[in-house]
Amino acid sequence: MGLELPWGARTSRPAKRVAQLVLAWSLDEPERLGECFPIEGPTSLGRGTPLSDDPAPRGTFLRSRPGQSTVCAPIANSRISRIHLVMQPEGDDIRLRSLGRAPVRINGVEVTEGVAREGDVVELHNAAVFYVCRRPKELPATSAGELGTFAFGEPDPFGLVGESEAAWALRDAYAFAGSTDRHVLLLGESGVGKELAARSIHGLSACRKVALVSRNASTMPETLLDAELFGNAKNYPNAGMPERAGLVGEADGSSLFLDEIGDLPEKSQVHLLRVLDCDGEYQRLGESKPRRSSLKLIAATNRSPETLKHDFLARFVHRIEIPGLGQRREDIPLVAAQILRNIAAKNGPIAARFFERRNNRVAEARLAPDLVARLLRHAFTHHVRELERLLWLAIGSATGDFIGLTPQVEAELRDSAESTSEVAEVDRETLARALADNDRSPTRTAKALGLKNRYVLIRLLKKHGLSAAGTDDKDEG
Amino acid sequence: MTTDARLLRDTLELAMARDDFAKGFYARLFAARPDLRPMFKSNSEGAQQKMFAQKLCAIVDNIDDPERLHDEAARIAKTHNGYGVTAEMYAWVGTALIDSLRDAAGAAWSDDAERAWQDAYATLARAIVSEPG
Repeated sequence: MGLELPWGARTSRPAKRVAQLVLAWSLDEPERLGECFPIEGPTSLGRGTPLSDDPAPRGTFLRSRPGQSTVCAPIANSRISRIHLVMQPEGDDIRLRSLGRAPVRINGVEVTEGVAREGDVVELHNAAVFYVCRRPKELPATSAGELGTFAFGEPDPFGLVGESEAAWALRDAYAFAGSTDRHVLLLGESGVGKELAARSIHGLSACRKVALVSRNASTMPETLLDAELFGNAKNYPNAGMPERAGLVGEADGSSLFLDEIGDLPEKSQVHLLRVLDCDGEYQRLGESKPRRSSLKLIAATNRSPETLKHDFLARFVHRIEIPGLGQRREDIPLVAAQILRNIAAKNGPIAARFFERRNNRVAEARLAPDLVARLLRHAFTHHVRELERLLWLAIGSATGDFIGLTPQVEAELRDSAESTSEVAEVDRETLARALADNDRSPTRTAKALGLKNRYVLIRLLKKHGLSAAGTDDKDEG
Repeated sequence: MTTDARLLRDTLELAMARDDFAKGFYARLFAARPDLRPMFKSNSEGAQQKMFAQKLCAIVDNIDDPERLHDEAARIAKTHNGYGVTAEMYAWVGTALIDSLRDAAGAAWSDDAERAWQDAYATLARAIVSEPG
């Protein structure tokens, strides 16, 4: 028997990706959102248990989480026929044929037979809406799996909602960043949930029992930045000034979350270097003796990391790119459901008008399937914040007792070009060349390729198995 | 699958193809027995209609599986007997159900379908009433 070396395991291949339908809306079973229906061979989908005359083996819905896949009960949705769809993989896509009574639409176009691709939306009219994606049948076990005690589809203990591969990768990145003593840089567009990320990382860190200190760097007046960060001695700079610990002092033994760090002037970035480098050493204004603060800095920016001073940027061992809703579209219905639950909890009249009631309790929202189908394809720019605004707009412009696709909402929605075409248009060779020509900088490469932003590029890189500088965060640790 | 089971499933599929089937059933039931309406107050109309349609499908889907059908009857007894549902009320519900199915099936309805539904409903109602609840 040969000696087995630990790094031998690195030869193992990544999990095979399988085309799946993810349940995004269900008339009768709203509690099943996020369940996946993998299609590995000829598969039929229908209500109830398998029938003797099923045209293909009956598929099953799974609740897939890292290291575990739970088989779910058969569909009990009354609007879905006993045999509704027969499907089979066709390359990366799914060929489907409709046998059910409710008409089938792919991206809004009615079909009796058709091909659904990753990013497409398949609707069974007034019965169910599915999002098509490709992901491993079972997500690999990660340290974030320990978080998995919360109910499927519900927010995790820190408030992140999502059961997608991207959501779980994010939880894993948070768990890893939280488990170390190193500083973290959060990157992502406005509205992706950077504050929630900071709370997650702090909540998963050794200092979670001490309150997180949080501040938006862009709100600090430039002339008072050092005093805000490092505090001041009593009577400094003027008599009568109270002693202040400053953010760095307040965060001793905890984490300091500085949002919009890209707005911090270079001078202040330099001042922070010492704290990040020398065991948290800093000086209060008006004091000569250095102090120490044992803090973990969690910084966030929606700008390119390259806009930060390079030596300041280098101190962030963990850089976590937070995906926007466009990169985890299958989570959109779950996030929407949570936003609506929050709205109902605080707005009684809205709950009474737009929500079902079961056993005298507020239950699911009456959400129209065409709205969900359009949200799944919308090109979000402000992500969760934008989704919340669109839902409020739908509520505010509703004329009936359901939340639907009103003309006002329709005017705000635009189908995502990135969901299929942009991803398909740039081939691997062009991508690799553009990366090399631009020193692997995601921002510059995205610009050179004429992509909307670097997040579209990251999606493309993932599709082609490539990476740019700073997009493979965990490996840097 | 027996002929009756096929008839039940085919006519149910026709009923479920209509968005307003469950709504129509309750409208018919409350028109005939307005005194039943307060018994459904704890759920919104939409939720009640979804639950009804789902339960009806579950019963018909398992119509030729006595064990599962018995389980369904036991579940219904457990939830309904607590609300003060009496044996007499099951007869009213049966009438509203079969009238609604007949309407929904239209020309596809037959004497055989009528008999199959009458028999199936009577069997189910007996099973529910005989459950301890």
